[in-house]
Amino acid sequence: MGDDYTRLWTYRLKWLYTLLVVFTLMLPVFYVIYISFNQNGFGARDYVFTFEWYSGIFTDLLLMNALGNTMLLAAITTVLAVPLGLIAAKFYKATGTDRAKLLTVSLLLSPLFVPADILGSALLVFFKNLNIACATAGEWLGVSWFETWFELGYFSALVGLIIYTIPYIFVVILITMGRYKEQQSEAARSCGATAWQAFYQIEFPQIRAGVFSACAFTVILSFNEYTRTSLLKGGYDTITSVLISQMLNEGMSEQSYAMSSLISFIAIAVIGSIIIYTLVHTDRLEREARAKAQPVMSS
Amino acid sequence: MIKVRPQLGGMGGSDITAPIPASRLRWQRGLSRALFLLPIIFMMVFFALPLALTVVWSVFERTMFWMKPGFTLFSYENFFFSARLDNFLSSMMHSSVSVVVSFVLGFPIAVFIRRRIPQVAQHRVILLFILPFMVSEIIRIFALRPVLQRTGLVNTVLLELGVITEPITAILYTPMGVIIGEVMSFLPFIVFAGFLAMEAVPKYIFEICDDLGAPRHRVFIDIILPLAAPGIFAGGVFIFVNGLGVALLPNILGGPGAVNAGLIATQAIAALDFPLAMAVSAIMMATLLALLYLGHRLFNLTRILSPIN
Repeated sequence: MGDDYTRLWTYRLKWLYTLLVVFTLMLPVFYVIYISFNQNGFGARDYVFTFEWYSGIFTDLLLMNALGNTMLLAAITTVLAVPLGLIAAKFYKATGTDRAKLLTVSLLLSPLFVPADILGSALLVFFKNLNIACATAGEWLGVSWFETWFELGYFSALVGLIIYTIPYIFVVILITMGRYKEQQSEAARSCGATAWQAFYQIEFPQIRAGVFSACAFTVILSFNEYTRTSLLKGGYDTITSVLISQMLNEGMSEQSYAMSSLISFIAIAVIGSIIIYTLVHTDRLEREARAKAQPVMSS
Repeated sequence: MIKVRPQLGGMGGSDITAPIPASRLRWQRGLSRALFLLPIIFMMVFFALPLALTVVWSVFERTMFWMKPGFTLFSYENFFFSARLDNFLSSMMHSSVSVVVSFVLGFPIAVFIRRRIPQVAQHRVILLFILPFMVSEIIRIFALRPVLQRTGLVNTVLLELGVITEPITAILYTPMGVIIGEVMSFLPFIVFAGFLAMEAVPKYIFEICDDLGAPRHRVFIDIILPLAAPGIFAGGVFIFVNGLGVALLPNILGGPGAVNAGLIATQAIAALDFPLAMAVSAIMMATLLALLYLGHRLFNLTRILSPIN
């Protein structure tokens, strides 16, 4: 078989293939970024480099409105979904019976296997039925304060987004918790700490990195999600629905190219910083571990 | 810094040294138990329930703008005895092709990362594959159009290099375009699934195979594939189901008349034919459950969970 160093060129070839695949996957994105800097828009023969479309984003009312809605949805989804995923992860770790574990995992990971349109349509009909039920109940009881609870709007879009992102949060947090030793919580509890204190002061600082990367994922995922949100959102615009409607109808305006490129830049920057952070962090941890492992001279 | 002072009754708010009354403890314990069940309740109410109800709604009758409770198999007839069924079956075939292509292209990468890259660096390389996924799926699919079309990037490069004399038209607005789009969208998932699946293959196995003199392909077929099968299968099901369900792919890349189940459902909703959309959803869910059950019988899918245990 040989290892990396006796078959160096195979190793390098495989690395090359991996990087080639990543590059090919990113190729359309790079092309969009390339177009967004072109003054003459998409498909023009002459290429003039300019930043003007990026400044044009901020004056485009449609895009700004959609951006506000999308950011609001992304923020609230993160605030709601990450704690839910965290609770579910702790529950999964804490339950003893196999059946409970299986139920938790299958419920929480199933949204990965249900395609977006199917989930979106099912939830749409569900919410509309709830709407009708609330309306008839409201008429029947004579009160109207809960009639608009389940109308298509922010709430329904939020539910769709939470269901979409929860599997990713669950897996990321579980993987991070894999490195945490439960005995520390038990020790804390036997010293008299309450469960919340044991979690917040001992466990949380150690899984903080995982929770924050889960937050970053959620924000990026909800920014980019289209099918579920478009079916569930009701009347207002989000970034993705604006992009799609432009794409399918009149061709994307140049500001939209710039906007998509901007979002891509931000996503790349976030993931890149996570990669660089883990690079730096593990090097530092390794150095610390090596320093601690040095035999101490006793005098 | 860790601040746990050994003191009875906890700390933080007030310095309680008296024991907490039993009734309040019971109430607190009940509340925390309910809190821990919250995610499960949420998922059951907003996820499992609507999907289960699709079967119920699919037999309702259709009215002008909504639907009437009743029992009719009209939507299913509508689906099975029309061109929609042919489209559905051919989209299933295209999805299977993209699963195979993704597997061939992506699984070797997962094996490579697991075996040849030091443990600490593995997650960073996997993060590289999250990168295309983090960029919006719609941008990636849409951006394939200017790359694959007659005057697009691929064709201009090939024409200038002299490899071909005429632009290739068969890669966009055809099933080929849909397959390319699916592979591009879902390849990272095969890499993730393969990476997790390779956890089940212990590292010492490769030394043993080397000592016994097994050739490379035997190692792959007899050792890696069977051990990693649950994870690969899960990844494959993911791609298959999403290929069937994402309406954008045939809409933008497929050309005239191309649909998949998701597009049928979305079009049905746009036409306000809700029972039909529910029927398509129910059929998709049945297909998915059948696939998962089949996989469980063949591979015991619970083994996938071992990396996160």
